[in-house]
Amino acid sequence: MGAPVHGLTSREQNSLEKVQVDSKRHQRHLLGNTISRYYFLFSILALCLVLGLVIVFIGKTALLLFANISPLDFFFSFNWTPEEDFFGAAAFILNTLSLTALTLVIAVPISVGMAVLCAEIAPKWMKSFIRPVLDLLVGIPSIVYGYLGLTVLLPFLRRVSGEGLGDGLLAAALVLALMVLPTICRISDDAIVSVPRKYRDAAYALGSTRIQVIMRIVLPAASRGIISAVILGMTRAIGETMAVVMVIGNTPQLAKSLFSPTSVLTSNIVMQISNVEFDSTWNYALHMMAFLLLLISFVLILIIRLLGRKRRDA
Amino acid sequence: MKIFKKLTVTALTAVLAVTASFAGIAAAADNLSGKITVNGSTALLPLTLQAAKEFQKLHPKVKIAASGKGSVTGPQAVKKGIADIGACDWDASVDVPGFKAFDGQVANKVAVIPFATIVNKNVGVDNLTTEQLKGIYSGKITNWKEVGGSDADIVVITRAFGSGTRVNYQAKALAGGDIVKKEKNYKETGSSGDMKTAVGTTPNAIGYIDLVYVTGSDIKAVKFNGIAATTDNVINGSYKIWAYGYYMTKGQPTGATKEFIEYVQSKKFQQGSLKKLKFIPISAMQS
Repeated sequence: MGAPVHGLTSREQNSLEKVQVDSKRHQRHLLGNTISRYYFLFSILALCLVLGLVIVFIGKTALLLFANISPLDFFFSFNWTPEEDFFGAAAFILNTLSLTALTLVIAVPISVGMAVLCAEIAPKWMKSFIRPVLDLLVGIPSIVYGYLGLTVLLPFLRRVSGEGLGDGLLAAALVLALMVLPTICRISDDAIVSVPRKYRDAAYALGSTRIQVIMRIVLPAASRGIISAVILGMTRAIGETMAVVMVIGNTPQLAKSLFSPTSVLTSNIVMQISNVEFDSTWNYALHMMAFLLLLISFVLILIIRLLGRKRRDA
Repeated sequence: MKIFKKLTVTALTAVLAVTASFAGIAAAADNLSGKITVNGSTALLPLTLQAAKEFQKLHPKVKIAASGKGSVTGPQAVKKGIADIGACDWDASVDVPGFKAFDGQVANKVAVIPFATIVNKNVGVDNLTTEQLKGIYSGKITNWKEVGGSDADIVVITRAFGSGTRVNYQAKALAGGDIVKKEKNYKETGSSGDMKTAVGTTPNAIGYIDLVYVTGSDIKAVKFNGIAATTDNVINGSYKIWAYGYYMTKGQPTGATKEFIEYVQSKKFQQGSLKKLKFIPISAMQS
């Protein structure tokens, strides 16, 4: 490297060359850093652009609806008979909310219980068995859950209830509960594990029993984490389509009982979107329903963010 | 840095390969080349795929992409210019109940599709008349004993509004009668496959489906006005629940699209593969 500099010992000469080599390597690293920085920036911007486009396009098509139908009719009418120009989505909105609520009522106690078991009570071998199993459950495609619901759960519900069909809110909520259970359980598990050990030690030192420690100390301390786990499960339950569509019956009407065939926002969109003409009020109405789902998810994710920020401030 | 180098090399190789393959296509030009996109009816999809396979063997430079979603997507895709051919279970160039005519489109008959009324294997009834079917689907008949079966509630399973199967079934089997949604024992499914599973797994269920799908022991096809649902009975004119399948095109088809439609309509394909797929040749109905 470089021409020999006059008046230096060979040792100094060597170290000078080393410095030159080092500086070249350093420059190469700098270049690499710059390139990757721009690459990451570009990736993020591209992602934002796509997200923005999704919102703009769905929103734009959705808002065309209100040129033909009044928002009052759409949000508060229960009459969804698109072939006769009645586009009331109230039944779907209420069904979506009640399905989500029912799912959480079934899933939350079980999954938080499992999380407590995993984090506080179970011996090591059991933990190392339960956690991977739950992670595997998340990876199963939702259509598989739907198919199992259709072929295993529905016949069972029919036998138990004596109904002719078995489809309805209960069947859908059971399938969804199974799907959101691992999500809620694993995140609550992490929240409980991250509660500092000294809290427990202090409580034990005061003479608390294990149940008291779990109920009075650990769960309250982990509550924000558990709430965000529940909200994440909720977003999955609200947006889930393929499993629901196979077991809910797809009859556009308000669910008056757990077993009456009914329809939610997602299942109604997926059932009808492929059979609807592009530039029709019907199509706009379905887009409006999709936009509504998007908004609900946004609000829920915002809530998680706010909760996370508060936890850091505390 | 190594990763970047590798990426660059991979990208360059890919570009070269793609260019080379395009050049190869252009170099070996023969009389017919082009790209045909087919979209629309799922009922016609097996037929389109089979025809595409055979047609591409004859004309290796023609690329055919086929997908199925639902009948009305066919003419719509043609209208928007997304597809060259829109497969549809009804003649979309004229008005049908629920759908307006697609202006400027030409309907090319390609096949005859028979439909069948199906029931769960536990249902004892094996013949239904037009009046009985109308009663069941309009909600006036709700128990199997009213049509000669055992004392059990009828579970009605139907396709969503706008399905080509539903349009045709309503017109032919119900003589234009309504399908009325009910509080209980009424379910809508999104595709022929779902319909088959739903009827097969629900006791006392009734539904309708393309005859092609009637297989296995969970479901059985019932007679319509005393006539069994078979291709022979469709051809001899006694079984009435059938419809033509159409390839919709924007104006008269041209070029490769025209050749492809003519191939599907050709005697060789109609009497060969089409029959094997359990569709019925269009020539059989014109006699």
